[in-house]
Amino acid sequence: MKALGRHLKDINRNKAMLLMVLPASLWFICFSYLPMLGTIISFKEYRFSGSFLSSIINSKWVGFDNFKFLFRTDDAYIITRNTILYNAVFIFIGLVLAVAMAIVLSEIANKRLAKWYQTGMFMPYFLSWVIVGYFVYSFLSYDRGMINKIAVTLGADPTQWYSEPKYWPLIIVLVFLWKSLGYNSVIYLAAIMGIDKSLYEAAMIDGANKWQQIRNITLPMLTPLMTILTLLAIGRIFYADFGLFYQVTRDSGTLYSVTNVIDTYVYRGLKTTGEIGMSTAAGLYQSFVGFVLVITSNYIVRRFNKDNALF
Amino acid sequence: MSSTRKKLTFGLTSILAASLVLGACGNNKASDNSAASGNGDKGETVELSWYTIGTPQKDVDKVMEEVSKYTKEKIGATVKMTMIDWGDYNQKMQVLTASGASMDIMFTASWAFDYVQNARKGAFAPIDELLDQYGKGIKETLDPAFLEGSKVDGKNYGVPANKELPAQEVWRFNKNILDENNLSFEGVRTLESLEPLLKTVKENNPDVIPFQVDKNFMPYVPYDYLIEKFPLAVKLDDTEYKVVNVFETPEMKQALATMHKYYKAGYVPTEAATLESSSDVQATGLWFADKATTQPFADNVWSTSYGYPIISTPQSDALVYNLSVMGSMQAISANSKHKEKAMEFLNLLNTDPVLRNMVDSGIEGTHYKKVDDTHMENLPESKNYDMPTFSLGNVMLTYLNPGDPDNKWEEFKSYNDAGQPAILLGFNFDPSKVSTEIAAVQNAKEAFWAPLMTGTVDPESYVPKAIEKLQAAGLDKIMAEAQSQLDAWKAANNK
Repeated sequence: MKALGRHLKDINRNKAMLLMVLPASLWFICFSYLPMLGTIISFKEYRFSGSFLSSIINSKWVGFDNFKFLFRTDDAYIITRNTILYNAVFIFIGLVLAVAMAIVLSEIANKRLAKWYQTGMFMPYFLSWVIVGYFVYSFLSYDRGMINKIAVTLGADPTQWYSEPKYWPLIIVLVFLWKSLGYNSVIYLAAIMGIDKSLYEAAMIDGANKWQQIRNITLPMLTPLMTILTLLAIGRIFYADFGLFYQVTRDSGTLYSVTNVIDTYVYRGLKTTGEIGMSTAAGLYQSFVGFVLVITSNYIVRRFNKDNALF
Repeated sequence: MSSTRKKLTFGLTSILAASLVLGACGNNKASDNSAASGNGDKGETVELSWYTIGTPQKDVDKVMEEVSKYTKEKIGATVKMTMIDWGDYNQKMQVLTASGASMDIMFTASWAFDYVQNARKGAFAPIDELLDQYGKGIKETLDPAFLEGSKVDGKNYGVPANKELPAQEVWRFNKNILDENNLSFEGVRTLESLEPLLKTVKENNPDVIPFQVDKNFMPYVPYDYLIEKFPLAVKLDDTEYKVVNVFETPEMKQALATMHKYYKAGYVPTEAATLESSSDVQATGLWFADKATTQPFADNVWSTSYGYPIISTPQSDALVYNLSVMGSMQAISANSKHKEKAMEFLNLLNTDPVLRNMVDSGIEGTHYKKVDDTHMENLPESKNYDMPTFSLGNVMLTYLNPGDPDNKWEEFKSYNDAGQPAILLGFNFDPSKVSTEIAAVQNAKEAFWAPLMTGTVDPESYVPKAIEKLQAAGLDKIMAEAQSQLDAWKAANNK
């Protein structure tokens, strides 16, 4: 009774804070925690019977059968390799370029011009992959593409871009960076703006040049943010961007060896049978791998610097 | 101390939030129930909720009000129609069905909210008894092949719309270019017989694509596929009903070799294997020939929609396939509380011209006006009620448009009567035992399907590789399962 009273008092004292947390908590409970119960479906052969709950209850248990299709052929190796390698490259190059771009933008003296560049880089982030896919097509189309037109004018032979796997790892990385760089650099730019200006003033008085300021003030101040964003990205390393690998490559069969990733594999495999259990299984597998990776990398970060870790 | 308190506070907040959420959910359900029971209490009049495909129209509710007045009198039911746009239909219906939403009638087909798949998963109510009791009119108007061919594991789950029944592949020609080169399609039927025409056009019209092909293209071979765009098939005249891999058949090998020859000769677009659709080229009119599926008066329809004359000639016989029977159907939801009324309504929709035309064209005098007994003309208001005719039941009851020939529906009937059943009509493969293998084979198949079908790659070297990949992914297991299902079906149906 006494304990309850203390809780009530506690709630009363923090009610403003609690109220602020409430919408986000509700959102997470509704859209992240409640749906988690649905992972049961990945161990069932899902069939409709009445409401959603009774469908789940009445469906037959099938153990790990729903997971088998992910590991059925040597495609399993290709999709895992493609998914993880592309994402690793995106995370690494994305981080380096976003931080570099943020620093460059923050150093531009003409603030109006800086805003102009920033907006220009930010725009592609809002385009859907379908549209980006057509942009890329206007460059790479065999008979009307810009690159082939230039090549022909210069006397070279036109290339069939959409059937030559060797170029695509590069194209995919470039397109991804073009689309996401602006967004990521804005996050770092905001962090740079938040750094105490007196630190730079002190450094200047001590005679530090620009490069030394960046190395000894900006980068150390950004490290916590870089670590956290990277850790979060690692949690999603097993999720590929479906639009990038499906739309931008025009779903070209000859490119699959370098463009088939787990998400496109699941889509292609299940569109005929539409087994809800199997797609849930794929999602669970992705989350599980992401979870393990986040825990491990967080543990490693903690070993080096406890403050930079997520938890 | 403070950290334990923090934890406790967080715990309490979560519980509070959770109870709020659950409370809200609970409330919703309660109000739903009361609304439903309220409807039932009113006596005989029930409201049928009808989900159908198409771009949502502004005047749907207005028209349905009129429809309801009519149906209330006839069968004691009112209708509420919900339209879901073409691209969203599959996904939204999946969610609605999975969540157990209350629906009565819904549109289904082989290409939208997959009929066979969802019938097997239990989304639809079996309607055999309902048809006998309340759907006599449907049974009388429909060609028996419709109901026979849409059986899933021996039961009917949907009412097919009465429309063109057989499917027939044709070669279409852009008539302007055909005439310009003084060509005739006399004697053209096989893929090989096209060659001299394509050659002439290639020489005389360098801007024109002689043979328009996109990634969905498949050369015609005399086989009936078990699953759409999946390499398992049975030869049309095979009395043994043997399931084969189409890539191993001489017909497909020859067709692919011819396609590759055409590709190398430049008759086919260079990027055919990744070309999503042919609509851009059709808009420009810079193409000469392509492959299409026909129906009576199709040439007129194509010519009107492209804005230049099209003529066509058959490349296959008119056969009734499973797919052609399941082009447009209405099913009754397994969750429906008014299954009998729903069937009464479907019966009326498929037999009563007044109701059918109201659903199709809207309110007379507002959306359309009648010219004579069988013809009607759209009024300007029809832009607020522009429905896809084929998706709403029996099309042969609908009034004719101004340009339509008087004998349109008679022609459809004789076309339907002439159609012969294809070998697998009525057999629907159940993939649930081999779904793991199907997922793997789909991925293996997609990698070379379009490049081979469009002739982009050389079948000499690619086909053996493809067969090897398909087998590694488990095609043989699917084939064995299909064969045993087919044998059982054959025995049960005395084929």
